[in-house]
Amino acid sequence: MCESNALLVKAQVIEQVSLGDGSFVEMLLDAPRIAEQVKPGQFVHVALPESSQHILRRPLSVLGANRITGLIRLLYQVVGEGTRLLSEVKEEEELSLLGPLGRGWDATKARKCLLIGGGVGAAPLYMLAQSLKDRGISVDVVLGATSADVLVCRESFQQLLKPSRLHLCTDDGSLGYKGFTTELCTQLLQKRKFDYIASCGPEPMQNAVAELAERAGVSCELSLERRMACGIGACLSCMVDTVDGNKRACVDGPVFNAKEVRW
Amino acid sequence: MSVNLAVNLGGLPMKNPLTVASGTFGSGREYAELWGAIPLSVMGAVTTKGVTLEPRAGNNGIRITETASGMLNSIGLQNPGVEQFCAEDLSWLATQDVPVIVNVSGNQIGEYVGVIERLERETVVSAYEINISCPNVDCGGMSFGTDVVATAEVTAACRAATQRPLLVKLTPNVTDIAEIAKAAESAGADAISLINTVAGMAIDASSRTKVFERGVAGLSGPAIKPVALYAVHRVAEAVKVPLLGMGGIQSANDVVEFLLAGATAVAVGSANFSDPFRVPHLIQELEHWCKSEGVIDIQQLTGALT
Repeated sequence: MCESNALLVKAQVIEQVSLGDGSFVEMLLDAPRIAEQVKPGQFVHVALPESSQHILRRPLSVLGANRITGLIRLLYQVVGEGTRLLSEVKEEEELSLLGPLGRGWDATKARKCLLIGGGVGAAPLYMLAQSLKDRGISVDVVLGATSADVLVCRESFQQLLKPSRLHLCTDDGSLGYKGFTTELCTQLLQKRKFDYIASCGPEPMQNAVAELAERAGVSCELSLERRMACGIGACLSCMVDTVDGNKRACVDGPVFNAKEVRW
Repeated sequence: MSVNLAVNLGGLPMKNPLTVASGTFGSGREYAELWGAIPLSVMGAVTTKGVTLEPRAGNNGIRITETASGMLNSIGLQNPGVEQFCAEDLSWLATQDVPVIVNVSGNQIGEYVGVIERLERETVVSAYEINISCPNVDCGGMSFGTDVVATAEVTAACRAATQRPLLVKLTPNVTDIAEIAKAAESAGADAISLINTVAGMAIDASSRTKVFERGVAGLSGPAIKPVALYAVHRVAEAVKVPLLGMGGIQSANDVVEFLLAGATAVAVGSANFSDPFRVPHLIQELEHWCKSEGVIDIQQLTGALT
């Protein structure tokens, strides 16, 4: 069983910034106890504003956390009515947060890292890139999206990495390489030696990344997305099919070793 | 003024009328870890996730979706089987000093009895809740609870296997829940648990597909509270045994409504997901409600509609 460091806190919304084509939102919250605890790849379970007819929390990726200011940054995509309501929450309003939750990335042995983010999947990779860089470890990041205006995390990564280490691609060629992240990865894996791959994005991309890693003989972790109810491992809603049977994305993941996952 | 919150649910003494709905709380371990200084023993009882004789992997595909003021689930009784349940869950619960109601499920009558026989060796078990109402499995489950004869048969077989308090959990997906409740009572049930989830469905318009692989799923949450209240009221008028009421309970007011409808104790389900501290907070809120309303013994509220 995972050791839980989860807390239930009220967090004030500092600001919400709409990104890209407007369907992505970066939310800044005052949550010092979570900022202090959260590790790269973990998430928080956010309740929608009270009096709403939405009874389930939304698991959101932590894009960044600052232990000194006590602020955390979350990134989410407005996909339905719940996330739309969340995007309408005003500054200074409070939200109920449960977190940090889940098992994050385990890059302790990694020395040459390749991080791959598809769409909003880039979010949980940012803190990992930051911590690897802080430890002086080599990091290449591939980010992909359908087009330039929805390649939402790229500014954060651009501030963190040298241009030669950040590899962008879009399906329509409006920015960077025209094509999929997996094509860029194949090229990078031929050019350079990596000993660790971390990936988050749409399931078909994750599956393809797992295969690439397997073929290249590189250790690989995937952050998987599932619908969740409790977020703490009790309700068995967020199952991931693995070689060892069902595992819970909320506490056994969301980060899984690619070799474990059955597709 | 001190308030007596203690109740007796068909031979199961509870220090307050609050337990949890099976499947929303695991065996309590994850919640206890989160609660930290608040012990699980603040609750009247813990009700465990459904246990079967053999391990079950549960259903494939999407398992939950949110609906207006509710949620649908299709977990499918995933559990490690009674042996592992005893070794891991019950051995942990034995350290928690809280009454334990084990939810028992099965495909055939013999499986229910087999689970109970194994659990009879475990002293930590305080009562059984016989699940004849799960909509998320092909065999057993709801197929017992929608039939008067089958309800009586499975209840009688379980009754013969134990002296411990025996609760039978009913489905609302029937023409007349009172008839089913009477059958369970006549066959030896000490209490009736109600309601399990309401059969429902979700469809994805953009892909024109069923959200859940089995099509059907179980609706819970505030959306079903009026359905549950009416079922409790109907059954309370039909049987003499006490009732464990559940369906969409969120507030102390909701708890009182269920007691007034005829319940002796209540279970909190989906609300554990939105607020993992709901149960301990509800116990305090309920005591506060009683104080402010001049109720000195919570049992006075059961069936006390004017």
